[in-house]
Amino acid sequence: MQVFLQSVVSGVLVGGVYALIGIGLTLIFGVMRVINFAHGELLMVGMYLTYYVFTLLGIDPFVSIVIVIPVMFLFGVLLQRVLIQRVLDALPQNQILLTIGLGLILSNTVMLVFTSDYKILSTSYSSGSVMLGGISVSQPLFVSFFITAVITGALYLFLLETDVGQAIRATAQDREAAQLMGVNVRRMGLLAFGLGSALAGTAGALVSPTYYIFPQVGSAFTLKAFVIVVLGGMGSIIGATLGGIIIGTVESLAASYVSSGLKELFVYVLFLFVLLVKPSGLLGKSRM
Amino acid sequence: MTTPILDIRHVSRFFGGLAANSDVSFSMQEGMIMGLIGPNGAGKTTLFNCITGFYPPSRGDIFFRGHRLNGLTPDKVCKLGMARTWQKVRPLAKMTVLDNVMVGALARTNSLATASEMAMQQLRHVRLDHKPKALAGGLPIGERKKLEVARVLATQPTLVLLDEVMGGLNPSESEEIILLILDTKRRGITQMVIEHDMKAIMRISDRIVVLNSGEKLAEGLPREIVENQEVVAAYLGESVE
Amino acid sequence: MRSLPVLLLAAVAIGLFAFPAFVESPYALHVMILLFLAVVQGEAWNVLGGYTGQYSVGHAAWFGVGAYTTMMLMQYEHVAPWWGVWPALALAVVAALVVGSITFRLRGPYFVLASIAVAEIFRLVALNWKDVTNGAEGILTSDLPPLVVGGHTITDFVSKVPFYYAGLVLAFITIAVNWGVQHSKLGYYFQAIREDQDAAHSLGIPLTFYKNVALAISAFFTAWSGAFYALYVGFIDPGTVLTTEVSVQFVLICIIGGIGTIGGPVVGALVLVPLSEALRANLLSDLVFKLRLVDESSRTGLFLKDNLAHAHALIYGILVVIVILFMPEGVLGWVRGGLARRRRGAAGGAAEGAAS
Repeated sequence: MQVFLQSVVSGVLVGGVYALIGIGLTLIFGVMRVINFAHGELLMVGMYLTYYVFTLLGIDPFVSIVIVIPVMFLFGVLLQRVLIQRVLDALPQNQILLTIGLGLILSNTVMLVFTSDYKILSTSYSSGSVMLGGISVSQPLFVSFFITAVITGALYLFLLETDVGQAIRATAQDREAAQLMGVNVRRMGLLAFGLGSALAGTAGALVSPTYYIFPQVGSAFTLKAFVIVVLGGMGSIIGATLGGIIIGTVESLAASYVSSGLKELFVYVLFLFVLLVKPSGLLGKSRM
Repeated sequence: MTTPILDIRHVSRFFGGLAANSDVSFSMQEGMIMGLIGPNGAGKTTLFNCITGFYPPSRGDIFFRGHRLNGLTPDKVCKLGMARTWQKVRPLAKMTVLDNVMVGALARTNSLATASEMAMQQLRHVRLDHKPKALAGGLPIGERKKLEVARVLATQPTLVLLDEVMGGLNPSESEEIILLILDTKRRGITQMVIEHDMKAIMRISDRIVVLNSGEKLAEGLPREIVENQEVVAAYLGESVE
Repeated sequence: MRSLPVLLLAAVAIGLFAFPAFVESPYALHVMILLFLAVVQGEAWNVLGGYTGQYSVGHAAWFGVGAYTTMMLMQYEHVAPWWGVWPALALAVVAALVVGSITFRLRGPYFVLASIAVAEIFRLVALNWKDVTNGAEGILTSDLPPLVVGGHTITDFVSKVPFYYAGLVLAFITIAVNWGVQHSKLGYYFQAIREDQDAAHSLGIPLTFYKNVALAISAFFTAWSGAFYALYVGFIDPGTVLTTEVSVQFVLICIIGGIGTIGGPVVGALVLVPLSEALRANLLSDLVFKLRLVDESSRTGLFLKDNLAHAHALIYGILVVIVILFMPEGVLGWVRGGLARRRRGAAGGAAEGAAS
């Protein structure tokens, strides 16, 4: 029972970070119907950014989020402007190929510049743990969950209460109608990709104390992000939040009860299962 | 009283809470042209989709030449002899005009040579035989509609469902289509035609079924329908086109 | 001169068959073998992706099945590869049909995602099923058994020449099959599915059945290229035959050349293989230095010299982006478009000339 509770709690905490990744991806899809295969690589860039800010400037990874967010946001806006915007009307397959290519460029450029050596960002609390009612929980995981919760809450507020946020939601719901109502959908695209990139980068910052940092680390996250988004429903932010937590928990339980090497297998099998049974996900609309 | 070629019995189709079709019943005799009319959103295309197998009816039965169609996939429905055109025309854009129609003909033969002959024959009927190598995606709308008709006729159907095949056409193009429909009738093929062009419907239909808000509002001869007050009211309730 | 293309093709074929008689350099043979391999991979992917419009980015799965099965039969059961390849191909086709039946109800991007997930599952299984596949260590082959027919030893596979001919024949067979598919009912149906699935369905085409046929053909030849690769290179592991990078490579060969055409994968192979070899052999960095673009001993120069050789995947990524943005129809499509534009321009000029 102890093991079970432990796994579930760890899973939920990791799931929070997964949710950040998923929300970014679903935002990009919701607003532009683009399936961003480079999302994991954006996370990886966030990890490297955090690593070097820590190594060169001595800033704690959790604190460096204040740097990571704007930098990754601007990076995302740049990518959108230069690349993604140009394929918004292309075949979805071509869009996917483009983002796959972008992912390859990002991961391999990082490899060329920083080598593929595994980097480790260890802080004083990297292996620390916190006691939660009898269950031992990783300290960095604990802190990142709270930061995730704060960011997610801020995002919800932004989307629900601000004008810009509502414009984004309008564009996601019906691009043409939003345009007719005067929304600058191009700018919404820039915002969406920027936000998505910022969220991915932040997730990277949050996991950097606990994961090995290397150029290819993004690819596992990309596929996982898709599982989360499909599970939760493409375009649904609440769905992505739920999906992240579910996937985190499934993975954690699989690692505890089956094997650590096979935990991803479970996630992918679950993915196929969802795609087949309810491709619109838990909260998505049946559009397929 | 011969067995109707198409028998629609108490068909309903729900999407979530919305009843797109509600208890619709009528039948068609072989060789006739049935007009299917009604304001936008009345459920006409939904009915077509149910009949041709894109989704099964939620309730009720559909019989075609004695076969129960419920749940059959569209390809099987086509093999049984029913073909349909699309409200928004769907050319196989990167294929040539001839290849488009050959795809239809290949439903009945495995030989490319035979299919090619059958396809050219249909293209001659619709007067598109002068540009067999043109890409379907590059055709103007009138020719795309004719291409679609040729393509479905190449599958050698006994029943053809035409969904607003005159939509977006100018008067002379519409006239061509009307002549095509009458010619198809002469060849013994039964047809159900969804159309908004009232004059055309009056000219070609043997009988008319009127749908409104998913329900069958009226059925009868063209002159009966035109004089039906409920039908007039249903159309006046809709915004002017 | 309608027989010109046929004559050209015959000339090329004869040239290719005679090549090893005139060229002895093992490296040249090696590049040609890689070329043949790429052509097979591209033509195979084309059947499913180009004709039928189902973009699988998980074809590494079939490559891996072909490679691993043939290798394992040879290493553990001592089955000669010319026998062992057949069960490998059969296994790949059966696996593909199972996967296809499950994933073909998905459309567009969802199918792409599923194909990637499937390939990842295969890779994880190969990585973790250590008893069978040797996990991350991979399988290293001892030498191939000599090919003995009727008492005569045809070859003992020491030189590259037998691989050259095997690769050439395989490439020809794959191209011939593609041609056959294109000019048959299958070709028409595949393309109809690509152009408009629902319209195709309503014209009497059972979708999943024909998609599965396309996948079976595609997986068959992809697996065959996997078996060939394994035997030629002599070593396989999950990281070299079952990764998404491998799958992307197959797609790249097709989209660079021109999707949905027979010549496309050939053109794509002709672009990609020399390019990666030039990178690997430092030819590219040497060229940059010779052209005095960068000083060889400068920091940039040293950096290039060290790293360009490994820049494979980066170049692939850049190529994908460039092709999608500027030449989505591939080189062949771009050329065809240019020719069509010139023809129209000439026709317009002629009309003007006639009018005036």
